[in-house]
Amino acid sequence: MSISLKRIQAIFIKDYKEFTRNYAISIMVLFPIVFALLYRGNESAEMGTYGFLYNFTFAMLTSFIQACLIAEEKERNTLRSMMMTPASTWDVLIGKSALVFVISSAVLAVVTYLLGSEPANIGAFLIANILSIILYSALGTICGLFSKTLLEASLSVFPVLILFTGAPFGLLLVDDVPLLKVLDYMPSSQFIELLDVMQTTSAIGEVAKPLLIMLAWTIVLTVVSVVMYQKRLKDE
Amino acid sequence: MKFQPVYQNGHLLLPPIEFELTVSQSVGIITDVQRKQLLLNEFKDHSQFYVFRAQQGEYMRLTIEELVTFLVRVSGRSEPVAALLDYFSLKDERKTKVRDLPSSRKMYMTLLRVYFAHQPTLVLEEPYFYLEEQERRQFKRVLDDLSRNKNVLIITSNLEDAIISCDTIYRLDGTGFRQLDIQDSEEDQPGAQEKEEQDQVNIAIQKILTKRNDKVILFDPPEIDFIESLEGSIIVHVGGELYECAMTLTELEHRLLNFGFFRCHRSYIVNLQKVREIITWTKNSYSLRLITGKDAVVPLSRSKLQELKSLLNI
Repeated sequence: MSISLKRIQAIFIKDYKEFTRNYAISIMVLFPIVFALLYRGNESAEMGTYGFLYNFTFAMLTSFIQACLIAEEKERNTLRSMMMTPASTWDVLIGKSALVFVISSAVLAVVTYLLGSEPANIGAFLIANILSIILYSALGTICGLFSKTLLEASLSVFPVLILFTGAPFGLLLVDDVPLLKVLDYMPSSQFIELLDVMQTTSAIGEVAKPLLIMLAWTIVLTVVSVVMYQKRLKDE
Repeated sequence: MKFQPVYQNGHLLLPPIEFELTVSQSVGIITDVQRKQLLLNEFKDHSQFYVFRAQQGEYMRLTIEELVTFLVRVSGRSEPVAALLDYFSLKDERKTKVRDLPSSRKMYMTLLRVYFAHQPTLVLEEPYFYLEEQERRQFKRVLDDLSRNKNVLIITSNLEDAIISCDTIYRLDGTGFRQLDIQDSEEDQPGAQEKEEQDQVNIAIQKILTKRNDKVILFDPPEIDFIESLEGSIIVHVGGELYECAMTLTELEHRLLNFGFFRCHRSYIVNLQKVREIITWTKNSYSLRLITGKDAVVPLSRSKLQELKSLLNI
């Protein structure tokens, strides 16, 4: 399958313009920043709160925007039209994800700056963020492909929000319901664990485990989203 | 081009279809909504067919210029955008967002997606349905240019739309798939009925006798807008309503000659008193627009143009 930078760029620019002119979606950028401002002066806020804010941003911003971008194209049948151009699956998905990636990175950078927390191991922190953005945009793609309209897409993000962002809270009940132990393997729980671990140590061995689990999630979700996209391509 | 028959619940929905699709000979298929969808589903191969569906949407928030730039880039072309905007006659609107365009213009812009197709065959569903006159003319020009090196297939439920830009027209319905002979079919008329009608006509010589829902309705010739021959039956249009007539076009032509009627096409007779405008689609195709409320348009053969001009002293 061929990848053309020119086509990716064209899709990126087109989506950027559509995104900035669609205020219903672009306003989402403000939410994490407002939350960060609220938590900012809060001395008692711990790593768990920060972790929640990051996870919330991944679901509410990364997944939401990606799902909406894909669903809107489906709703207007422009995705089908794009499938008939020489643009390959990778061109379309990379072009779209690149936009979401840039927006999420920018917002996360602002959030990190506002919170003023300095991670001990910058490298591990960056990798965790990059992996998360990719895996949540893959989740967004899956949501977008499942929904037929923009409205459906904005609702379909809520299961993601509850399941992924809420997983660390589910862990609080693990003493009562041992089965909830599986939630520990959710990428969001691992992200918080990583932030916790990094407070005490920055040893490679300690940070490697959460990163590897997140990498596994990223690979699996990316493969699923690409396969689903191609299946849609055949259905149409 | 060949298609296998499609059955549903033992019902023959799509009869076996076979037709020739060549460059610079656009083909039109007239059929109903259900068969239209079935037929469109047959063009699955994205490397061979570019399928334009009637419900195709557009990126509403882009401006025309941005959209054309995007289409050029994503289809891997290298034409300068400014020249294309000129060619599409969209130059004045290049800074307008798609959603701010009038609906006919919006549809025209959306239809232009076919221009960027790399597939050898273009399949269009109802391309002219949502277009107004100006856009129809512009799109016909683009499509005619495209058909020089691509196969063009138009699927529509409207004969008038197919006539605009198709060289060969087929009709697909429950009884089969056959080429539409755009001629009046005098031989097809059941002879017995014809004679009977003729006798009646002798009595009410000035009236045109029509039938609708088993009622016989008589019209004064000046009431009639135009008459068309459609698959062997003669349809009289009066004030936007349709009535069937048992006479042949040739007979009608003779009878109506003194009332200012004119045979403008092999299958059309038009009341010249009701003609408002002669529309030129291209050098070789013309239509007559009538003054009736519903914006009726009747095709005008090239060969009849001169005759019409001399009749009207133009």
